[in-house]
Amino acid sequence: MAEKPHLNLAVIGHIDHGKSTLVGRLMYDTGAIEAHVIEKYREEAKAKGKESFAFAWVMDSLKEERERGITIDIAHQRFDTDKYYFTVVDCPGHRDFVKNMITGASQADAAILVVSGKDSVQAQTKEHVFLSRTLGINQLIIAINKMDEVNYDEAKYEKAVEDVSVLLKMVGFKPSEISFIPTSAFEGDNIASSSENTKWYKGPTILESLDTLKEPEKPTKLPLRIPVQDAYTISGIGTVPVGRVETGTMKKGDKVIFQPGGALGEVKSIEMHHEEVPEAVPGDNIGWNVRGIGKNDVRRGDVCGMADKPPTVAEEFTAQIVVLQHPSAITAGYTPVFHCHTAQVACTLLSLDKKLDPKTGEVKEENPSFIKTGDAAIITVKPTRPLVIENVKEIPQMGRFAIRDMGQTVAAGMVISIKARP
Amino acid sequence: MGQVAAKIQIMPAGVETDLEALKERLTNAIPVGVKLHGFSEEPIAFGLKAIIAVVLVGDVEGGTESIEEAFAATDEVQSVSVLELGRL
Repeated sequence: MAEKPHLNLAVIGHIDHGKSTLVGRLMYDTGAIEAHVIEKYREEAKAKGKESFAFAWVMDSLKEERERGITIDIAHQRFDTDKYYFTVVDCPGHRDFVKNMITGASQADAAILVVSGKDSVQAQTKEHVFLSRTLGINQLIIAINKMDEVNYDEAKYEKAVEDVSVLLKMVGFKPSEISFIPTSAFEGDNIASSSENTKWYKGPTILESLDTLKEPEKPTKLPLRIPVQDAYTISGIGTVPVGRVETGTMKKGDKVIFQPGGALGEVKSIEMHHEEVPEAVPGDNIGWNVRGIGKNDVRRGDVCGMADKPPTVAEEFTAQIVVLQHPSAITAGYTPVFHCHTAQVACTLLSLDKKLDPKTGEVKEENPSFIKTGDAAIITVKPTRPLVIENVKEIPQMGRFAIRDMGQTVAAGMVISIKARP
Repeated sequence: MGQVAAKIQIMPAGVETDLEALKERLTNAIPVGVKLHGFSEEPIAFGLKAIIAVVLVGDVEGGTESIEEAFAATDEVQSVSVLELGRL
């Protein structure tokens, strides 16, 4: 049988709203954990008089087992639905991991946002919705969780749906096109099968809505962009940049340019996993040998593209950001480090253009004098040295960044317009 | 607070770098509060191999910063990139 299509699924939401329990429940209900393993831990729970917590017990035991294991894919869990196989990532709660989520290799194709039916929208719920938009995760499923703790009260569910909808609208999601599902991951309501406890709910279960997600397309039609991770000189070969193809495709013989330096050359050969490949496509981790390029012509943070469609070097750009954490106030003139693909460049905030209302998404204040933690804003930015970055509407993979300062991830954002270097 | 597993790619200085010796130096560089889960090697291109380290860090302030800095400061390391992460 052919392998099912694969999707990367992120589970996001406020701490203690039940993300890990939901991941566990999905594994449990889809048979991703073998029955005899579950049985073994069930027995153990019973023997220890914790029968009523059997599910939680099984999950904790499995976690310990994974921690002891040697698999390199410890952070991944896999489960199958009728249509897809998913690798699911339970996203870290702390903001300092946001940088890794923006510059990391595995982009989530979809996310389940877990919101407690008891507490509704909380700080991290807001932050994660903003971030999922910034990270380009456009497919969302909303689990209004912990319904068992509110006696499966429809009014509580509706209240949470309303709160989340406001939040979604503000970042440009259409709530009418998104599944909202009342769940109890702990009890297993509406995960794999419709629950008797929520007779008022007629929509799909979590598993059913996972099967309605769309398979992502590889961005092969976009212009070629390969951020350079490192450049090597290999004897007998020459200059070899290495990196991961973000968008487009590259073949032997292609005329390429490395920006912002502007070095031009011709692709002599491409290797992946030590084997020569005729063509590199998005997601490929490659080394490529370029005729006409010296080692000093290319460095980490440069971006390779086709000579006739070169990567954009920004003179200035406008971006929408969300401030994740900052001890005081951010004002014009602030110059933190922007992390974008493999580049790290200090950039000056030339102006704060608009502050957005976190309740409605509308402009709350034109030209605010400062912004602080929790604010969303439109800003104009000038890199202190040449930086390749793209408009998120044109090449989304190259238009996102994290802002770091004082060892913290201060903000995350996306580029909405660029004034290119002439 | 939970734990986060991070998969980190370490690029060596060159093709001739002794990866076994490098793994030993990386192991010694691991800061307090970070646990090494394991190493593997990944062939890249033209004889270059990356070291993949999986480490466990707390889901707390600083994230993967301390381990990235420690690895980056190790001899014969060209670059350090966090590829993936997820809570355990």
